[in-house]
This record gives sequence, C-alpha cells and structure tokens, in this order.
Amino acid sequence: MVIARRSLLWMVSLLALIGVYTLAARLVSRPDILPPTEEIATAFGALLGRGVQLGGGGEHAHHQHHPDSQQMETLLQEGVTLQAALAVTTGRVLFGLAVGLPLGALFGLLLGASRRADDYLHPIYILVRSVPPLAFITYIMLWLGHGEAHRLIPVVYAVAVTMVIPTYHGARDVAGKYVEAARALGARGRLLLLKILLPASGPAMVGGLRYSLAIAWMTAVGAEMLMAENGMGNLLVGGGMWSSRLQTRSDPAVIIVGILALAAAGWAMDACAKALGARLTRWARA
Amino acid sequence: MSWTRVRRAVIGLVAASVLYVLAAELGRGRLPDRIWLGAHYVENVQLLPTWRSLLEEGTFLIQSNILVESVVVSTRRVVLGLLLGSIAGILLGLLTGAASRLEALADPWVTFFRFTPALALLPLYVVWFGYGESSKVLLIATNVAVITFLGAHHGVRGVPRVYLDAAAALGADRWLQFRKVILPAAFPSILASIRVATGLAWVTIVVAELINAQMPSLGYLLALAGAYPRVPNMLIGLATVGALVLVFDLLALLLHAWGTRWMERAA
Repeated sequence: MVIARRSLLWMVSLLALIGVYTLAARLVSRPDILPPTEEIATAFGALLGRGVQLGGGGEHAHHQHHPDSQQMETLLQEGVTLQAALAVTTGRVLFGLAVGLPLGALFGLLLGASRRADDYLHPIYILVRSVPPLAFITYIMLWLGHGEAHRLIPVVYAVAVTMVIPTYHGARDVAGKYVEAARALGARGRLLLLKILLPASGPAMVGGLRYSLAIAWMTAVGAEMLMAENGMGNLLVGGGMWSSRLQTRSDPAVIIVGILALAAAGWAMDACAKALGARLTRWARA
Repeated sequence: MSWTRVRRAVIGLVAASVLYVLAAELGRGRLPDRIWLGAHYVENVQLLPTWRSLLEEGTFLIQSNILVESVVVSTRRVVLGLLLGSIAGILLGLLTGAASRLEALADPWVTFFRFTPALALLPLYVVWFGYGESSKVLLIATNVAVITFLGAHHGVRGVPRVYLDAAAALGADRWLQFRKVILPAAFPSILASIRVATGLAWVTIVVAELINAQMPSLGYLLALAGAYPRVPNMLIGLATVGALVLVFDLLALLLHAWGTRWMERAA
C-alpha cells in the first residue's frame, strides 16, 4: 500500500516536473537557454548511439537533431555514447571506492582506537584533508605520467579522506564504551577488532559510505571535466582537448541529458549502499 | 586540550615537514627533471621542490601581490556563494521540512537530485549566465544550496514529535513553535551541513575559476602552474587553498559551537 502510494507520488511528481519544464521552455522560447523537451529527448536518443546509426556520421546526425550544436557534433564525431561514458565514470567511481574506503576506514579506526595515534596524526590529517582533490591533478600527472592515475587518485583520495571522520567518530564515541568493557573482560587483538570495534563503528561507517559515494561521483566527474578523453565529465564539457575545454559553446540539451544520467546512476548506487548498509548493521536494530 | 596533545601535535607536524625536506634533498638530482606528458616533454621539472625554491617562489608570489590578490578574489567568490547558497538552501529546507504536503511532492526530486554532481552544471551555467562573475558565484551557491537544503530539511524532520506536542499543549502557536522549538532543534543539522558546504565551496571554486580564467584567482594560479609546469608554484597554490579551507572550517566549527549552545546548557 505504502509502496504503491509512494511510487504513484513519484510518477505524479515526475510528470509534473516535465510538464512545468515544457511549459517554461515554451514560454521563454529560447532554445539556446532552455531547450524544449523534444530536443532533450532527441539528444538522449542521439547520445545512445542512434544518431550515429541513422546518419552514418557526425555531420548527418548534427543536421538532423541540432541545427547549431557544436557540442553534439564533436561528441558524435568522436563516437561518444552516453552508456559508454557512464560506464567509464562508474568504473572510476567503483575503483575509488574499492581502494579509498578501506584506506580511509583503517586510518579512521586507527585514530579512533588509539589515543596516541590520534594525538600525533590528526593534525597532519586535517592539513592533508584541506587540499581539494581536483587541485592536485596536474601534480599527480607530473609524477605518474599522462594516464589513468591522475583520474583515479583524486577519487581515491576524496573517498578516503571523507571516510576517515565518520569511522573515527564511530570508533571513538560509539565503540569506545564497548571496547572498554570488552577489554575489562579480557578481549584482545583480533577478537577486539573483529567482534567489537568493527561492528560497533558500523553504523557510522555506513553513513560515511553513502556520503563518500556522492563525493566520489563529484570528484570523478570533475577530474574528467578537467583532464580526460572519456567519461561523463568529458561528455559534459563537449569533448575536445584540454586547451579547448570550456571554450566551445555548450549545448544545454546534452548537459541536461548528462545531468539526468548522473543523477540516476548516483541514486541507484546510493540505493544499493543503503540496502547493503542495512544488512551489515542489522545488529544495531536488534 | 591538554599539553600532551599540543606537544604531540607539534611533534607530528614537525616530523612530517622534516620528512619532506629530507625527501626533497635526497630527490635533488635523482628524480627525473625531464618528463613525458603524453604529447611532449617538459624540462626542468622539480618534482619535489627544495626548501629554498619554495621560499624563493613564495616571496616572489607575495611581493608581486599575485598571491594576495588571488586569495582576495577567490575568497570573495566563495563567501558570496556561501551566503547566497546557504540562505536559499536553508529557507527552502525549512519550508519543505515544516510543510509536510510540500515534502511529499518535493521528496522524489530531493532524493534524485542530491546525487547530481553540481560541477556538472558548470557548462550549463556558462550558457545561462555567461562567462562573468555570476556563473562562478552561482555555481558555488548551487553546490552550497543543495547541501544546506538537505541539512535544514532533515533537521526539521528530525525534531521529536514530543517537543512539538508539548509546546502546543503549553499554548504555543505555530510561529512560536517554529521559532522556539523547531529552529533551535534543527540548528545542529543545519550547521553541520554548512560546515560540509564550506569545504565543497572551495572544491568548486578550483574548477569554477577555469571559466574565462583570469589572473587574480587561485583556480587559475593552479591551472597555470600546472600548464607550465612550475611545481613550487603549484605546491604554494595547493597550500594556500588548503590553509583557506582550514580557516573556513574553523569558522564553521565556531558557528556550530555558537549555534548549539543551548544543548550544553540543557545537559
């Protein structure tokens, strides 16, 4: 019942938004600023690869769909499709999570569990954390060359740095009491870590995971906007090389399609994280 | 904050800087200074600049006023974006949080759009608001608004029903309830979101300042340092942004402490 009502509400809300947008676009009637809904739909179709099939080449599709879309033209010429771009970015996000989450969680546990480590390392952590991940892309490039590293490391860094704080608070504030009690009862080492510290900091870590997800998407897309030849960020800034980035006039229809795709992917991933988190922290509600 | 903690913090920071200086000295002459960058070689790269070159570059950047002006310009944009964004976000969040019917309609879109990386809006903002100041400030404001909106919304939603019933039973009208119960109870959540948003605002500015990039700005300073590439310049730029993020974070923490005074009093 509740689920049915919720999804009905979703549908109504969705249709309402599309309706309001269509109306607004018609009233403003400036397709270069608010592209009409049909144009967004055609852009979506073209980016899925149908434009290329139909036209057999960038130029043809360009004439068909967007009379003056430089961005669409470049993208189609380069053979960029929405699904491929999304897959590449998702891969980068997943890599960032796979490496960054354990790193950040381990560091957070260390700081949370050991007073001494906290005292020595926390100030350094705060300094390191303050540097925005998108700012040091070129520095990584100098060290590791022009390749995948400078797109992946910022994501790993952003995820790790974000994950530290919730884990730290989970381990120190929540698990602290349990750890003390378990120590008094004689628990040591592995037992203490696996049976007390990890489960007790779990709920806080799941919160951190969901927050890290959003940060990972943002960093991956940002890094791609700055320096990558593929992925969603590249699609959004309209392909081309670094020197011409942000110089070509963007096509709002393409960007709206890209944003919708990113929102859907992020939402789906967060739903997975939520379900996983609920399973992993069942004990907290028991 | 005990003395042991201060001493240990200082030891940790000094040890980290000594390690860096040692690495830089060891690396001098051993690290490659000619680097292949995909399309061409760049010469004379100092991967780990020594103390002296950092100091030289730093004094040049400060004496030529480049650094100070960049800091002023970028900080102004961040502050403006933070103000605009948090006002809009908090007001909207309070509204949807307090009016349950509005929430039912807004909720699908809130859950959906909170996962849009706000940076993705950058090309769209260039089309909508041009290459000038407004698109940079508005990009930051949007980023901030999304976060503070969620903070305010969930803050209001999280106010225990009992508080409201108690206030109503004591005869408080809706406005008084809002002012004396909902707002203070939602404050911790709102302020926490402001703290997150300040961090994100600085991430955004690094990219936003590549729109029609011009010199007094930290984003362009970093981009130029990367394009040449000049590593001392780059590291000083990174350190400057880091220091600013730190200062803003401290300010947000102070605001948080001030806004949640009532909790300590109640305890």
